[in-house]
Amino acid sequence: MALWKHLVHTAGAVTLAAGFASVASAQETVNIGYTGPLSGGAALYGKNTLVGLEMAAKEINDAGGFDVGGKKYKFNIVALDDKYSPSEAAVNAKRLKAQNNTPMVFTPHSGGAFAIQAFNEQDNFILGAYTSVPNMTERGNKLTLRIPPSFAGYVQPFINVQMKTFGKKLAMAGGDHDYAKAWAQLFGPAWTKAGGQIVAENPMSYNKDTDFYSGVSRVLAASPDVLFIGGASEPTALIAKQARELGFKGGFAVMDQAKLDEMAAVTGGMDMLEGSVGVLPLIYDKRPGTESFIAKFKKLYDRNPGTEASYHYSTLNAVAEAMKLAGSVSDPKAIHAKLSEAYGKLPPEKNPARITSVDERGGTNANIVVGVVKGGKVETVEAASLGQ
Amino acid sequence: MNIFFQQVLNGLTLGSVYALVALGLTLVYGILHIPNFAHGALYMVGAYMAFYLVGSLGANYWVAMAGAALIVALLAVLSDRLIFHRLRNAPPLHDMIAAIGLLLFLEAGIQAIWGAEFHRLAPPYPQIVRLFDLVAPAQRLIIIAAAFGLMFVLHLFLTRTLTGSTIIAMAQNREGASLVGIDATKVSVLTFAISGALAAVAATLFAPINLIYPSMGHLVIMKAFVIIILGGMGSIPGAIVGGLVIGFAESFGAFYVSTNYKDIIAFALLVLILSFRPQGLFPSGARA
Repeated sequence: MALWKHLVHTAGAVTLAAGFASVASAQETVNIGYTGPLSGGAALYGKNTLVGLEMAAKEINDAGGFDVGGKKYKFNIVALDDKYSPSEAAVNAKRLKAQNNTPMVFTPHSGGAFAIQAFNEQDNFILGAYTSVPNMTERGNKLTLRIPPSFAGYVQPFINVQMKTFGKKLAMAGGDHDYAKAWAQLFGPAWTKAGGQIVAENPMSYNKDTDFYSGVSRVLAASPDVLFIGGASEPTALIAKQARELGFKGGFAVMDQAKLDEMAAVTGGMDMLEGSVGVLPLIYDKRPGTESFIAKFKKLYDRNPGTEASYHYSTLNAVAEAMKLAGSVSDPKAIHAKLSEAYGKLPPEKNPARITSVDERGGTNANIVVGVVKGGKVETVEAASLGQ
Repeated sequence: MNIFFQQVLNGLTLGSVYALVALGLTLVYGILHIPNFAHGALYMVGAYMAFYLVGSLGANYWVAMAGAALIVALLAVLSDRLIFHRLRNAPPLHDMIAAIGLLLFLEAGIQAIWGAEFHRLAPPYPQIVRLFDLVAPAQRLIIIAAAFGLMFVLHLFLTRTLTGSTIIAMAQNREGASLVGIDATKVSVLTFAISGALAAVAATLFAPINLIYPSMGHLVIMKAFVIIILGGMGSIPGAIVGGLVIGFAESFGAFYVSTNYKDIIAFALLVLILSFRPQGLFPSGARA
């Protein structure tokens, strides 16, 4: 039913958008493209990313739109389903540009983003890639915006917290999917460089296994002080739980794909996660601006927003700002060039993700904070305060 | 040594869940003469039913298990009456296609209602039993005890009661069974009901230490297929022994070799056993 509703919704949006496109000059609407998983196993994730864009667009439109060169413009989000498939994401992006003339297309997965990078410069649109894979911006694509900061920024703060609290022996028990491997390749060497020692390495298929007991007992047999874990939140939580059940007393370094609050829902509270370090769940972020975003989101959708929503919300606001600064809604190069300045100009309530600037390769910088579980509560720790 | 026993415990837990699922599959094989691809979906529906009964209706865990078994048994019977029974004169390929269709239908249906995200059944017995140096979460012990108890009851039912014997008779020879006055409809309804109930019980037992999601049946059904091939198609002791073999292979393989290779070990074992005994461990026990 959800799928059907979505199909109808998408079909409606496309017809509507096509209608708009033909009378673009009169309506002054800017179409923004989105391709992501809206059905299948990752549908929830896709919807969580899309909702951030929709919320920002609704807010901007309700306030009367934004001014570019003396004209008022409104945003229209055109969303297509790619079922998490890179090839379908590429087809969708082509279609969004050709049919809806979108100056920017968002996608929330690295596979799709890499596929779109093959032609977005020729087709002349900005790729908004929601993935923290550092590689995304290393290929010299001039029209890419990597929305979250690279995960490399989390590695050192995680190591600092864990090594100081628990000790130098690390066991690697992360996932065996690409993203987890990329993390492990940065995390392992950085741990040894900081004077630590890796006592066991046993990646597991977080999404494909029926049981983790044997795998977890295997790494615990090397009596580590710290466990590196991470995949989707729920299986990650099961692994943490099973490690505790087998008597593990040390800390967890939790890869950014897993969220501490979602894990706590599985482990039945934060007790089992005591001493974990991970990305700060948005709902524990008490900084002004972020708090008001959470309140607004709750009022609109009656649930807590995730990090994905806040990044997309911030970014669409920045895109509106960049269009103002560039004096154009249709010149992707000019808009892309102004994104860094635009993020910097946003007031905190329009930038709950705290993105400060965009580097010359299109990767964002943000004030990195990490969440540490202490006494059953998630504490906010500024990465800068750990002395990198 | 403790670590060794820990793996024995893991192997028993996994093996008994696999065996319950494989038992249902092997029983239905006796009727359909094809493996029922939709069996994994029945397992998944069983977990969701228990999740719904405990989560939304606040039922007791054991009540929820009985409820889930009842609902899934009914679903399995419906699938027989509405689909497989009507295809009884069609080529076996049609049964297979219908089973795959049913699998997709059930998965999409569950996803439309509960969404694609992970759900979790809160463990009814979160205690951890510590005996000497052995650590055993209570739920794992319950799985082993309940699964073996159920297998024993099923064994008694099939060998010691008249109704049970009709199932065996029907699996052995359909025409012969009809000739001696066994009601084919009654037997196939009963068999489907038992297989559905077994799947639901296995899912409800396993759910508290695992996650509930629409594609959760794929993994288990794939293992169950391997098990019934390993044990011999249609053989009941084969399903139980095969389940334990795969469970132990996974548990020891994951610990002593590598978690990444544990499936390879299980499948290598399958190849090895089949090359020496192509008919499986307990060849056609039910169809002899």
